[in-house]
Amino acid sequence: MSDKFERGSLEKQILQLPTEVKFCKKCVMSNQRPRISFDEKGVCSACNNTSEYKNRIDWETREEELLELLDQHRSKDGSWDVIVPSSGGKDSAFVAHQLKYKYGMNPLTVTWAPLRYTDIGFQNYQALCDSGISNNLYMPNGKVHRKLARLCFEELGDAFHVFVLGQVSYAFHMAIKYDISLVMFGENGEAEYAGNPEVIDKAYIPSDMWKTTYFKGSTLSELIEYGVKNKDYMEKEDFTKSDLEFYSPPSIEEMNRVGIKGKHFFGYYKKWSPQESYYYAAEHTGFKANKERTEGTYTKYASLDDKMDGMHYFMKHIKFGFGRTTDDCSHEIRDGHISREEAVALINRYDGEFPEKYYQDFLEYLGITEQQFWQVVDSYRLEHIWDKVGEEWSLKSKIS
Amino acid sequence: MKENRVLGNNNIDIRKVRIIPRLDVKGANVVKGIHLEGLRVLGIPEKFALAYYQDHADEILFMDSVASLYGRNNLHEIVTRAAEQIFIPMTVGGGIRTIEDVKALLKAGADKVAINTALFSEPKLVKQVSEHFGSQCMVVSIDVVQNEDGKYECLTDNGRERTGVDLYEWVDNVVSLGAGEILLTSVDNEGTGNGYDIDLVKSVAEAIPIPVIACGGAGKKEDIHTVITDGKADAVSAASIFHYDLIGRIDDEKQNEEGNKDFLSRAKSVLTDQRRKGISPIAIHDLKVFLNENNISTRIV
Amino acid sequence: MIAIINLELGNLFSVSRAIEHVGGDCFVTDNIKEVMKADKIILPGVGSYKSGMESIYAKKLDGVLKGLACDGVPILGICLGMQLLMDHSEEHGNTQGLGLIPGAVEYFRNITGFDFKAKVPNVGWSSLNKKRRSWEGTILEPVIEGDDCYFVHSLCVTPEVDDDLLALSHYGGVEFASVIQHQNISGCQFHPEKSGNVGLNIVRNFVDYKA
Repeated sequence: MSDKFERGSLEKQILQLPTEVKFCKKCVMSNQRPRISFDEKGVCSACNNTSEYKNRIDWETREEELLELLDQHRSKDGSWDVIVPSSGGKDSAFVAHQLKYKYGMNPLTVTWAPLRYTDIGFQNYQALCDSGISNNLYMPNGKVHRKLARLCFEELGDAFHVFVLGQVSYAFHMAIKYDISLVMFGENGEAEYAGNPEVIDKAYIPSDMWKTTYFKGSTLSELIEYGVKNKDYMEKEDFTKSDLEFYSPPSIEEMNRVGIKGKHFFGYYKKWSPQESYYYAAEHTGFKANKERTEGTYTKYASLDDKMDGMHYFMKHIKFGFGRTTDDCSHEIRDGHISREEAVALINRYDGEFPEKYYQDFLEYLGITEQQFWQVVDSYRLEHIWDKVGEEWSLKSKIS
Repeated sequence: MKENRVLGNNNIDIRKVRIIPRLDVKGANVVKGIHLEGLRVLGIPEKFALAYYQDHADEILFMDSVASLYGRNNLHEIVTRAAEQIFIPMTVGGGIRTIEDVKALLKAGADKVAINTALFSEPKLVKQVSEHFGSQCMVVSIDVVQNEDGKYECLTDNGRERTGVDLYEWVDNVVSLGAGEILLTSVDNEGTGNGYDIDLVKSVAEAIPIPVIACGGAGKKEDIHTVITDGKADAVSAASIFHYDLIGRIDDEKQNEEGNKDFLSRAKSVLTDQRRKGISPIAIHDLKVFLNENNISTRIV
Repeated sequence: MIAIINLELGNLFSVSRAIEHVGGDCFVTDNIKEVMKADKIILPGVGSYKSGMESIYAKKLDGVLKGLACDGVPILGICLGMQLLMDHSEEHGNTQGLGLIPGAVEYFRNITGFDFKAKVPNVGWSSLNKKRRSWEGTILEPVIEGDDCYFVHSLCVTPEVDDDLLALSHYGGVEFASVIQHQNISGCQFHPEKSGNVGLNIVRNFVDYKA
């Protein structure tokens, strides 16, 4: 890598951001979030989504729909009949445990390993299995994974993207290998956080649709091609077919062959709340919150499993000017759990907090120096979001 | 009277242990979490306080759980309303930083104040409050977690921030500054129903000359018995074990707007023992009967 | 009308709330003239003996209180207020009190036989027991022996005259005076305004008492 880092243009999301930063009047979400929209009153699509439809859902009908769906898939001989992507966290614990113990399904949880397990993450993962849930864990080839992570960090501003690539794809590969047509996720993130109208209030997102939305605009092969061409740490020979298999989703043909319709959401059928799934997981699957607050936000019970997770949210704050606290608060405001006033106080205190705890682990994982790290970080600070005063960076627009 | 002050054999001086329900308040609601996390709405503070008073609680503890985030305590109105009908001591904590804050709360009706976060930047506040209002008014609230090396570390901001301060050093410090009582909460145990951290409580209670109120972890009445007999607690505070019983008996006609009320709406129709797995809720009066039958003296009305 | 003396120490509002709750009328004051108009006096207090007496002297209330005591006006001292009625206290050296009831105020820890492991201050509920005097016609008339009241104190009172001891309680293995009464002057070491119904009954009794 040359002394001065120059970013390519693989991160396409940041090319399309509105140049005037605005915050939702109801929740605290920023208009810099990709795929979100604000109405003429300054209210975001996620809030409108919630008020327009979520609060009017007849959960009893949804329960009936869920029963119908599960009846169609439940195996008669006790073989696995539903794939539940799981990190061992509270949300997937809730889904898996309910499917098995309340609805009599035979879930197989599948885990695309975190980049680096934390102790508490692994404990919770084991506890979930101990509560009676089977699991299939896949750890990708570390050499491949770490090179891709570095590439993603440099060219997409998010090392964690390498995790995201496999997280959804892997579940579908397993579904095909085990011949299971039902893949059940938890919350519909696009609906909950962005209010994307195409996916609101859908029991599932069809395979062809979800395949296009989460790549941040660049596919894996585009990324690797760029990397091999421009990076001194990547060569074509580094990547074999087997190594790369699970980073991309299976073909539509294969998914159709097994009868997979798409990404199903348990959250479509259940009134979802992170707090209530925390209680459920604590009571039924031995889930333990962390002893300390998660860096970058105010809670102790979310995304505890990956040491590299904190950097993902930090980079989000760099790229878009809002971080994890904003995400969590927006959700809680919409759930009616906290007020906007509290959210603003929380954001001003915690949003964009530097993930000091695993910073050195991160540098080591990627094989980069601190200097290289900061060069990459700074290359993602867009002019309409960041101001530099002397040596200090600060947000141009702060929430109030 | 001067000559023989010492009790004869037939005068039993058994220390009466105080039972203190703890109300964590957020906005206008009583809330409850696990490890101070995930705060469910359970009811209206003044109503809970009155119900506990009528259930023969010895004192009431109100903690403003969002206060240190805003840098102020918001319980004045709640405390004033409670004081109109409640004639046992009330302790109020959360976000208290100055003598003026203390004055305002005492004026609103509090008898004692509980302070934690502010003391780490301003420990001499303990001395100031004690000298100004009397040490009996100054309850030092300490939230602890146990780290991997077995040591206990103090937390602030309602369990959100670590201080790096060792528990025992801190206890020594605040006692020498004039604290009247210590409210000791195990964040590891609180909300879990797994019982109190007996070693923790005992190690502090036996080491200092002022009363220790144990908090965090009560799941069943036997836990409270144990923290008194083995833990040597001078007073016992609990929340889940009382709240999850009370919600089934209390008449809550008005719900305050904000907060996670999903649980409450379904809880009332659930049997008491099933509301919160691992916790066997009990009414305060029934707890006292149990304690008295098992050689622990409490105020019985 | 009951005058609650404001020494600017501690929480007066709970006392006035309790009085109002049982149907009494009261006002909080440190003004001599207003105090003299009252039918009954309550001397509450929390904090140090020295601060209490300094406040009384500063407000020139010592003369008034002694005069009203002589006139037979019912006076009730609560907690520190009760201790101020005595001759002197050993808190922070030796401080003179109002001298309305003969006796002294001592630290628990200085009493022979006091359990060194007992926590100080005594915070919590203790029962009231009779010594020799009957409680009929006294401030404790509505109380049943063994009823509990709420105490918080590090020092306790020893009346010189046995007859002035109305109720005693126990802490740390020793006895101490929990209620004293000398003619129209009485004192409760505990806080009747914080002692639940038992305390409220005592307050009501004081409010309703007609000389």
